[in-house]
Amino acid sequence: MNPPGSLADVDPNLDEHLSTQILAPSVHSDNPQERIQARRLRIAARLEARRREALGEYLDGKKESEEDQSKSYKQKEESRLKLAKLLLCGTELVTNIQVAIDTREIHRRVEEEEIKRQRIEKLENEVKTSQDKFDEITSKWEEGKQKRIPQELWEMLNTQQLHCAGLLEDKNKLISELQQELKTKDDQYVKDLKKQSDDICLLLERMEQQVKSVMKAFREELYHIEKAFEVERQELLASNKKKWERALQAHNAKELEYLTNRMKKVEDYEKQLNRQRIRDCEEYNTIKIKLEQDVQILEQQLQQRKAIYQLNQEKLEYNLQVLKKRDEESTVIKSQQKRKINRLRDTLNNLRSKYAKQIKQFQEENQSLTLDYQSLVLQFKELQKAMRHFALIDDKKFREIWLMNEEEAKDLITRAFDVDRIIHTHHLGLPWTAPDFWFLKNVGPISQQPQKSATQIVEEMLMHTEEEEAEEAASEPESYLDLPKQISEKTTKRILMLLCDESGFLVESKLLSLLLPLEQNECYLLRLDAIFSALGIESEDDLYKLVNFFLKYRAHRLSSSLQIKSCSQASMEKASMEETSTGSELELAEQTEMEGEKEESLVEGEKEEEEETPPSPWVIHPNDVVKILEAFVMGLKKPRDSRAPPRVQKNVRNNSKDSEYWQALTTVIPSSKQNLWDALYTALEKYHIVLTQRAKLLQENSSLEQQNTELQVLLQQYLNSKINSELQVPPTQVLRVPKK
Amino acid sequence: MQDTVTTSALLDPSHSSVSTQDKSSTGGHTSSTGPQLSKPSITPVPAKSRNPHPGANFHRMRRIIAEDPEWSLAIVPLLTELCIQHIIRNFQKNPILKQMLPEHQQKVLNHLSPDLPLAVTANLIDNENYWLRCCMQRWPVCHVAHHGGSWKRMFFERHLENLLKHFIPGTTDPAVILDLLPLCRNYVRRVHVDQFLPPVRLPAQLRPGDQSDSGSEGEMEEPTVDHYQLGDLVAGLSHLEELDLVYDVKDCGMNFEWNLFLFTYRDCHSLAAAIKACHTLKIFKLTRSKVDDDKARIIIRSLLDHPVLEELDLSHNLIGDRGARGAAKLLSHSRLRVLNLANNQVRAPGAQSLAHALAHNTNLISLNLRLNCIEDEGGQALAHALQTNKCLTTLHLGGNELSEPTATLLSQVLAINTTLTSINLSCNHIGLDGGKQLLEGMSDNKTLLEFDLRLSDVAQESEYLIGQALYANREAARQRALNPSHFMSTITANGPENSVG
Repeated sequence: MNPPGSLADVDPNLDEHLSTQILAPSVHSDNPQERIQARRLRIAARLEARRREALGEYLDGKKESEEDQSKSYKQKEESRLKLAKLLLCGTELVTNIQVAIDTREIHRRVEEEEIKRQRIEKLENEVKTSQDKFDEITSKWEEGKQKRIPQELWEMLNTQQLHCAGLLEDKNKLISELQQELKTKDDQYVKDLKKQSDDICLLLERMEQQVKSVMKAFREELYHIEKAFEVERQELLASNKKKWERALQAHNAKELEYLTNRMKKVEDYEKQLNRQRIRDCEEYNTIKIKLEQDVQILEQQLQQRKAIYQLNQEKLEYNLQVLKKRDEESTVIKSQQKRKINRLRDTLNNLRSKYAKQIKQFQEENQSLTLDYQSLVLQFKELQKAMRHFALIDDKKFREIWLMNEEEAKDLITRAFDVDRIIHTHHLGLPWTAPDFWFLKNVGPISQQPQKSATQIVEEMLMHTEEEEAEEAASEPESYLDLPKQISEKTTKRILMLLCDESGFLVESKLLSLLLPLEQNECYLLRLDAIFSALGIESEDDLYKLVNFFLKYRAHRLSSSLQIKSCSQASMEKASMEETSTGSELELAEQTEMEGEKEESLVEGEKEEEEETPPSPWVIHPNDVVKILEAFVMGLKKPRDSRAPPRVQKNVRNNSKDSEYWQALTTVIPSSKQNLWDALYTALEKYHIVLTQRAKLLQENSSLEQQNTELQVLLQQYLNSKINSELQVPPTQVLRVPKK
Repeated sequence: MQDTVTTSALLDPSHSSVSTQDKSSTGGHTSSTGPQLSKPSITPVPAKSRNPHPGANFHRMRRIIAEDPEWSLAIVPLLTELCIQHIIRNFQKNPILKQMLPEHQQKVLNHLSPDLPLAVTANLIDNENYWLRCCMQRWPVCHVAHHGGSWKRMFFERHLENLLKHFIPGTTDPAVILDLLPLCRNYVRRVHVDQFLPPVRLPAQLRPGDQSDSGSEGEMEEPTVDHYQLGDLVAGLSHLEELDLVYDVKDCGMNFEWNLFLFTYRDCHSLAAAIKACHTLKIFKLTRSKVDDDKARIIIRSLLDHPVLEELDLSHNLIGDRGARGAAKLLSHSRLRVLNLANNQVRAPGAQSLAHALAHNTNLISLNLRLNCIEDEGGQALAHALQTNKCLTTLHLGGNELSEPTATLLSQVLAINTTLTSINLSCNHIGLDGGKQLLEGMSDNKTLLEFDLRLSDVAQESEYLIGQALYANREAARQRALNPSHFMSTITANGPENSVG
């Protein structure tokens, strides 16, 4: 790669660099190392150049081989590399000076240090020796003091002087040496300064040169690049032009081809046209002949037509005449009709006016009637209100009268009882027991307990259970209830709970959401209310029917086939009953009663069953509840329809028991007792008479006594009067008056 | 028309030639406004003289006016123009600029004299063109790039520099600089002063025109040769970023005296206080000023924990190991990015302390220890530090008496380190083996772009090969910079080219 012989044949533009490098510090330097360094640098630069050349060649080869890469890019890259190298070399060249000076400075410093060290050593030695000498001299002074002989002293002084002079000479020598050194240093400094200025000049020169060469190189490279671009552009232009020409040629050839084709075609078409024309002419002739024949025929026909036309014209003229006549007639008739229409229109108008009048009249009538009707309705409403009011008042009055009468009667009765008791205890001396009658405890008008609605019952029931009154319904006679005494309240409640839990789908979702915040009982109540309304359960009976139905169902599931049979029989009976029932209310009422009875009996039977198997509604599986309900609703539906009319009479009071009640009240005191009282009365009358006689006698007696006392008082009066004293003989002296 | 023309021509022979000329142009001058305007002003006297011919008066007047060769609309300048001229003339007394329209402002600025007092222009004119003219007038060579591309900044910086250069303590009035302060405080970012004159002694006062000469004649007994105290100035400049000072006297000629080049302790203390107070300072340079260890420590102590300082240049001084230790402390107590201690007297202990600070530093990018004498001990310490450092990119160890052991360690560093881009080991005694080892280390490195081994006794072959590796690294870095995404692919593409060389 790098044979020594090849150094000679470097290309001329490299020589420039080399020449600049030869100008490097080596020329002016005294330092052998620097010269060596400079030589090395030169060799390195040559190597670089060599390498670059090889690289350039390689690049050229590559450029030729890879034509597809753009020439300008290559050139750019090449120039960049070249310039970078140039710059690097240049800066190295310039900084070489600095480096050289640095090394020189270091060397100088090292030498300086060495010299300094030596100098200091020398000075120290000198100081030591001179000190020794000085010590010697000072010791000799001591010796001199002891000398008495002047010659000796003089001699000694001379020697001392000599010694001192020697010492001084030594010192002076040293000083002169140092001064010499200083001088040489000064010289060296001046030399250094010169050298430095030379260096600086060199540096400036190099820098200038560098600037120039770099500028030149840049310009050159720019030129190269531009050239490369231009060449590329021209190549591109040429190639494009070629391409364009080729395309144009192809286009021209094609155009020519098309032209010839077209000519050929035109000729063909012309021939065809000629042929076609001839053919057409022939055809035209034949058609012409044919058409002429046709024209002749048609002319003949035209003649015929004309004749017919003549005929028709005449006919039509005749017709016209006739029609004109008819027209006249028709005008006459028209006028007549018009008149008639006018007349009819008049009548129509009359009728219309009449009709309108009628309508008005009727509207008025209608209005008055509606007003009447409204007033009547109002009246009726008022009447109803009044009636209701009166009914209430009547009820109240009735009740009040009843209560009053009852009270009166009861007063009477109590009085009678009192009398009886007095009679018994006082007169007869017998113990009296108060008779006990049901009607005595009755207060208020007798009436059947009003049927409660199902919900009320439920509410009651819930209330009861809440209060935890485990007692039977019988303990509270009226509240819990005639029908299902057999079924415990709890059972009912549980059934209802179950129903409530299971048939939530019957409750509206809105209601459910409203129920959430309520208490459990209220919640149940409202839910049950909703369920009942959905099932159509309204009255107490229905509720108990439901409960029973549940129990029955359970029994049906559990108990033996016999019971099932009975149940089915019952249902069969029911069904037959329903079949027999026709339309009459009476029969229906009876039927319902019958049903009630039946159910009662069934319930009784049920109760027995319950005793056998402990009643637990949980036996009823929750899943069955829906089935039961379905069956129940199916069963309930039919009787439900016909029950509506009789319910109207519910408000009418039953007064059948009233007379009985009152009658009973009258017979509080039985006839035997009355007989007793009669006998007693006669006896007592007699006793009374005797007593009255006695009283009379007592009265007489008392009056006599009074008379007596009065007479005594008078006598006293007389006796005590003044006249007596005036008298000669006072009666007092005569009479012996008993003194009190 | 023809008649009047002829009559007038007959009447006034002096104008005949003109009138004949005018014949051709009469058709164009149909409008009467021009003549009416200039009628009273231009020819009042001749009109009176021609009054005896009343019939031809009007036409004659027109004729004459149309003939006036000096008449032209362009002669009358616009009022705005006049106003602008006036403003320019009286700018010094009544500066009006901001109130005008932009185009008028431009016009005024283009015609303002560069000699206007700074008190008027400093805070009023921002136009670069004006300051360009000012600069060009004062200095023949202007490198505006050194002043952030702003002519105004350049003007003020160089003006201030000029004042400082020629300031003589005790003689020059300090108000000269302090008066300038409010004018330039917003524009000066860099203060570069390469000479500070010492105070003038008694004989010098007799001839104050020649300060530099006079300063040298003083006796040695004067202990205080303090220079200008920068404290007030630095405190006043609100945007100061760079302070480049050389306590030196230029052109002293034959009046040379050692005393001239003294950087006294008082100078040092005042400078330290000034830079401590300046929180905007980014670059501080104090070169060629005979700063020894104690002064360096005073200055470095004032720079500890400085908020923005990025560059410290204390090159060409007399700093020894203690000063280097101070600099090492500064490295760990500031955000210093560039440290230059070139041409000082740092030896192995100083380099070791610097290396210790460098090992865990994350700010320093460039370290220059050129022309010191750290020797192998210091070099090895620095190489060890570089094994852990992940920040330093430039390291200059030229002329430090380094030899093979340092090269061995550095070659290990080269294999590991991925941040260093430039190393300078020129003027050392690396030796042949050291060069080989460095070459080995270089073969594993992909980031180093510059490696200077000139005059360091390295074998030519290894230097050449290192150059090859650097070339490859440079190419890779360039490719990376051009298209970072295709970095890997380009490496493979470049492979054969490099191998051929």
